[in-house]
Amino acid sequence: MTTKTIELTVSRPMMNKPLSLPVHIYLLVVRSLTTILRTPEALLPPVAISIFFLVIYQSTLGKAAAFIPGIGGSYLGFILPLSIVSGSLSGSGIAAQNLVRDIECGYFDKLLLTPVRRAALLLAPILAGAIILGVQATIVVSAGLLLGLKPVTGFLGLLTVIGLGVLLGIGFSGFTVSAALGSGNAAATQGASFLFFPLTFLAPTFVPLSLLSGWLEVAAKLNPITYVLEAMRAVLNNGWDTQAIGTSILACLALAVAMYALAAFALSVRTRRS
Amino acid sequence: MSDREIVVENLVKSYPGKVTAVDGVNFRVDEGKIFGFLGPNGAGKSTTIKIMTTLALPTSGRVLVGGFDVVIQAAEVRRVAGVALQEVGIDPLMKSMELLVLQGRIFGASKAEATARAKELLGLVQLSDAVDRRVGTYSGGMRRRLDLAMALVHQPKVLFLDEPTTGLDPVSRRDVWREVRRLNRDLGITIFLTTQYLEEADELADTVAIIVAGKIVTEGTPAKLKAAMGEESINLVFDTPELADKGQSILENMSDRIQLDRDTVRLYLRKAAGAIPAVISQLQKEGLTPISLTLTQPTLDDVFLQATGQRLIASEATKTKSSRSRQRVEAN
Repeated sequence: MTTKTIELTVSRPMMNKPLSLPVHIYLLVVRSLTTILRTPEALLPPVAISIFFLVIYQSTLGKAAAFIPGIGGSYLGFILPLSIVSGSLSGSGIAAQNLVRDIECGYFDKLLLTPVRRAALLLAPILAGAIILGVQATIVVSAGLLLGLKPVTGFLGLLTVIGLGVLLGIGFSGFTVSAALGSGNAAATQGASFLFFPLTFLAPTFVPLSLLSGWLEVAAKLNPITYVLEAMRAVLNNGWDTQAIGTSILACLALAVAMYALAAFALSVRTRRS
Repeated sequence: MSDREIVVENLVKSYPGKVTAVDGVNFRVDEGKIFGFLGPNGAGKSTTIKIMTTLALPTSGRVLVGGFDVVIQAAEVRRVAGVALQEVGIDPLMKSMELLVLQGRIFGASKAEATARAKELLGLVQLSDAVDRRVGTYSGGMRRRLDLAMALVHQPKVLFLDEPTTGLDPVSRRDVWREVRRLNRDLGITIFLTTQYLEEADELADTVAIIVAGKIVTEGTPAKLKAAMGEESINLVFDTPELADKGQSILENMSDRIQLDRDTVRLYLRKAAGAIPAVISQLQKEGLTPISLTLTQPTLDDVFLQATGQRLIASEATKTKSSRSRQRVEAN
């Protein structure tokens, strides 16, 4: 620095106006999106992997609808939801990675020294992550359309599929965010994201629920992913199944309530003054 | 009480296991003053500043910042206080303008207000040319200046600076000093400063307090503290620490306070200049000649040493006549 002098205005009114929670959330969502988009290398692989598996499944099992009972339409309409759900699970880590980066670099503590609403510190990265998830799911759905997907419920059906994928991702992100707040460590947070992948296979992943039996059927019925897959498949292949959609939304909400209770606890521990 | 004052009364902070980090600390920082808080590692400085900035709760006692109680009015304290902690917490993926605008908006400014304020502050800390770069590419000095700017976004009445120049080169350090002085002089901001540089406290602080083992052991203006020392020091450098040790033994009856610091013996005396011939004579009688002799006025370093029994700067062996024990003192 040199001796250059710039007068600070002392007569300007103080900008100390308390803001509402939605405004704080909005400000931090914009900021989270800005930083998330500055690391595209973290965003592209999950989408690429989802599309890769979609192409592989469609190429190898594309004619399975003809001999697997219960698929009820095109195999693409049956398997695309798996790609969306896989993307939701990997994408659920976006919010947590964003949060843990703030904790590791000290910016989280810096925010604690401001009047920012504590709930905004939790909700903003999750909403930013959900927006990214929506974009990722849209790209995967677009890939499905290019491969020949013809949803029986049309454009609104596609929006429903994307919405359910985002809702599921938001629910799971409650868990990864809890890990981020609890550990404050990027590696531990990354590890927590991997815990979900077995859940993908404790579900009617490659065949309809009606073909599962024994312990796998029991596990699948306890797994919220099952209901999301069932609803997405119904919407794409069979038509508007309000019961399946309602059940999947309830499953996502139940998951979210449990995960966000955990996340709220983790936030209170991290921000608690001791 | 003024909205720019800090009052700390009987502050105690204990942790489980009966560790008392802050033990009955009292001080007051008057409006528009700079208060320097010094102490060795683990003395309680960081704990005190964490309590004052609402990051930690006291076990007992009362802390008022700008008239607000840090326990029950934490949100109000955050509105009147600006804080630049020792660890610069800045998102490396963001740009300085983005960080400052966001900070301003969190404090309630409109986008236009926050942008204008950000530009003003970037000029103040001389970062106007780096607004388009991500903060991750900034040097340590630039990050500290940005951190200082972030602490000023909401026009705080009280500013907490936790070791603001640690890790900076001497030129950047002096630049920060100049800005701190100007913020205090031109805007009337009350400043609470912790530092490991005694020269920094001497240069900036109106009042200095030294904390040791959770208790304030001395407090006053730098000038008064130095004057209270009352003694100048004769500094004798010998060829080896062994010869210095021998020199200390020879001279220890000439003063109540004598220190051995590796190859240097410091003899504290009133009217020390007049005692130099006697000192040399005493050494020569024993066949010992120092390789250099200097005379120094008391410094804040001497005040710190007398108050704590340790030097604050770097690791060095210190031995006083009273303790006669060598101890390692790490930089705070």
